[in-house]
Amino acid sequence: MDQLSQHLTNALVLGGTYALLGIGLTLIFGIMRVVNFTHGELYTFGAYMTFFAVSVAGANFFLALALATLVGVLLGAAIEVVLLRPLRSSDIDTTMIVMIGAWIAMQNGEQLIWGGVAKSIPTPFPTAPLVVGPVSVDWLRIFVFTAAILLIIGAHSLIHHTRFGRAMRATFADRDTAALMGINIGLVHTATFALGSGLAAAAGALLGPVFVVTATMGNLIALKAFAIVILGGLGNFTGAAIGGFILAFVEELGAGYISSGYRDAMGFLLIILVLMFRPTGLFRRAERIS
Amino acid sequence: MSDPAATELLKLDGIGIRFGGLVAIADLSFSVGSGEVVSLIGPNGAGKTTAFNIITGFCAPSHGSISFRGQPLNGLKPHEIAGRGVVRTFQKTSLFDTLTVLENVLTGLHRLGRSGALQVLLGLPSVGAEQRRLCERAAEILDFVGLGGRQDQLANALPYGEQRLLGVAIALAADPALLLLDEPVSGMNATETTSFMAILAKIRARGITTLLVEHDMRMVMEVSDRVVVLNQGRIIASGVPSEIQRHPEVIQAYLGQGRRRARH
Amino acid sequence: MRALAPLAGLAALLAVPLVVTDQYALHILITTGIFIIAAMSLNLLLGYTGQLSLGHIGFFGIGAYVSALCSLGFQLEFTDRLVLTVAPKPVWLSFVIAVATAALFGFLIGKLSFKVRGAYFVIVTLSFAEVARLVALNWVSLTQGPMALNNIPPFTLGLSDAWQLTFYRKLPNYFLMIAIGAGAYLLIARLVRSRLGRAMVALKENESLATSVGIDVTRYLVLAAVVSAGIAGAAGSFYAHYVRIIDPDIFLFIYTVTMVIMIVTGGKGTLLGPIVGGILFGFIPPVLREVAGPELQWIIYGLIMIVVVFFLPEGIVPAVTRAWAARRGRAATASARSPAGS
Repeated sequence: MDQLSQHLTNALVLGGTYALLGIGLTLIFGIMRVVNFTHGELYTFGAYMTFFAVSVAGANFFLALALATLVGVLLGAAIEVVLLRPLRSSDIDTTMIVMIGAWIAMQNGEQLIWGGVAKSIPTPFPTAPLVVGPVSVDWLRIFVFTAAILLIIGAHSLIHHTRFGRAMRATFADRDTAALMGINIGLVHTATFALGSGLAAAAGALLGPVFVVTATMGNLIALKAFAIVILGGLGNFTGAAIGGFILAFVEELGAGYISSGYRDAMGFLLIILVLMFRPTGLFRRAERIS
Repeated sequence: MSDPAATELLKLDGIGIRFGGLVAIADLSFSVGSGEVVSLIGPNGAGKTTAFNIITGFCAPSHGSISFRGQPLNGLKPHEIAGRGVVRTFQKTSLFDTLTVLENVLTGLHRLGRSGALQVLLGLPSVGAEQRRLCERAAEILDFVGLGGRQDQLANALPYGEQRLLGVAIALAADPALLLLDEPVSGMNATETTSFMAILAKIRARGITTLLVEHDMRMVMEVSDRVVVLNQGRIIASGVPSEIQRHPEVIQAYLGQGRRRARH
Repeated sequence: MRALAPLAGLAALLAVPLVVTDQYALHILITTGIFIIAAMSLNLLLGYTGQLSLGHIGFFGIGAYVSALCSLGFQLEFTDRLVLTVAPKPVWLSFVIAVATAALFGFLIGKLSFKVRGAYFVIVTLSFAEVARLVALNWVSLTQGPMALNNIPPFTLGLSDAWQLTFYRKLPNYFLMIAIGAGAYLLIARLVRSRLGRAMVALKENESLATSVGIDVTRYLVLAAVVSAGIAGAAGSFYAHYVRIIDPDIFLFIYTVTMVIMIVTGGKGTLLGPIVGGILFGFIPPVLREVAGPELQWIIYGLIMIVVVFFLPEGIVPAVTRAWAARRGRAATASARSPAGS
């Protein structure tokens, strides 16, 4: 029982960051029809930026997190403008190949800059965990979960309660009509990619201090983010948020009660099950086929 | 010669379809007899192309039934419907753009080929023989529509009118018993239209039944045995061309607008 | 003429060892060849049906592991009482079993994901290879996990125990690689030039038109996946018996990426594309290794991928073919009518 509640708490913390990653990826896919292979690298980038700001530049931890997210947004915007904007009329395979190229270049760039040794990020939180009954939780993890939830709420209200969000939703529904209505599709694409990248960088910045930072930390995460997106239905915001938590619970419980070696396989098994029984994702009616 | 009851080929019974809240087709029932040329006309948005999509399995009707040679087509996939000899063309020119003209028609002949994976991978002589036979047939079809000299050109390099003809050639290659032509002469000039009417006559002479959607009234009135007029998802008239031309509701709903849309 | 060119190419490849006698160079040639065979198989999916299988190394790795395990013999313990013991099989039989198993996985993956295709297919195949890697890593009782499978027997060909040819050395393995490659080329060429291949291309070019003339989408995509996976499995099997040691890293995503780079650079959807791209990328690493660390090497790979898509989107082979046709066309236009369009 103690073990179970410990697993559930861990899953909540992990789920928050998974949801951030899934939301970013699903927005980019839904609006731009781009399968973003650099997503995991933005996550890694966010973690390294935090490490750099805290350990090298000596910045305040919270400031470092904000900075990492912001730089992630800028990097995302740059990637969109340089690599994707010229290819907007190309098919999905073409952009995919370009994104794979960018992914490899970025990952090895990080490896080159930071070397193969894992980095850990010091945090201002007390090392003694918060103990509530049978469950003990690190203060850091509580912070990570809270921050992730706040970011999810923030992104949601950005999309649903601002003019810019309306433009995004219009583009998602029908790009040509949106363009006719005077929406600047180029700007929406850049902003979407920047927003998605920022969320990924934030996830990396938040999870970096919980684990350690390595250049290849984004590999599995990128695949998991895809799993979350499929789980929630391609392009579905709420689906991705819930999908992130589902994946985290399945992984955590699978690792705890089945086999820890297959922890990372859980997401893929979920994908296969979803595709077998509900190919359009758990939360989407089967009406939109791209 | 055009007695639909005698040899009814295609029959639509109470077909309706809704997209979201929009009723695209309310209640559509008509039939096409073997050997006939039937035209489906009506103003834009009347549901003509939607009817084609339903017949050929590209979208499923909300209610009603379709049968071909007395057997239901409902629920079959497009390739299965084509497999029974119901083949369509598309309103927007639709070709295999980066393939040559000959390859386009060869692809259309898919249904007539028999070689399976094993024969192909083993490179059996029957595969080569079939390939030669199909190439000859493709060349024949291209001659039939008047694209004989264009075999090795890329489809997307053809002039517009010839692209339309290639679309018809691909459909003919699939050996249709019922051919559905969706605005075959749209965008063609008068000369091209006239020569297309000659091709249509030849298609008919081959015993292929044709269901035609077309805006060009000169052609519709000249080639059709019967005309079915749709407006806002319902049939407002049907009969031989001379009746339709005099039908007041048709004149009001369609022909009046048709003049304005003559260019279309 | 058209039939002669591949034969001339084959003869040239068979003559290579006359010039290249260095054992290390021969080794590079063999491993590059194995990758080219795998890339040729991926090209069937990516180039002809337009489906990007990003888990293609999964079929390769399954071929390698199945072949290695069959030739070494293995035990499966379902319970204490129920133990399935498989005695070592001859290598040629292991090869056949490996190809069949990989093809079976191709069938399953195809069936599973072609209902939805596109981005789903990419992600499903990617996940498939990753799951395969995790299984190879964690199913230690079968695969030795990270300790690797050692002492895999080399290829043998023979009519009896007395009369056997064993492929220990580089040179016979080179010829065997060429033989497998030529076989794969022949199968793929036959397939893509047949009505089945035309159906695959038709689906990529214009799916609704293809279905409207009676082409069954799923059927031909699954067929492409089966043949493609089978050939990748053959390459994997040969790899296992050539290097004679395999570990779970054989499933690394980066190998699939290498195949994709080869195909895209050479020209997807052409028979020669993966070969041209493969030769190029087979020889770049040994050259780069002199001047750059592995990270820089991969950065260069990634950038090449981007640059190729931007500036040579069709790849080398179609670009060269077109330039060649244009030159001949210009020579011919003096008297004849010029072809319409570009």
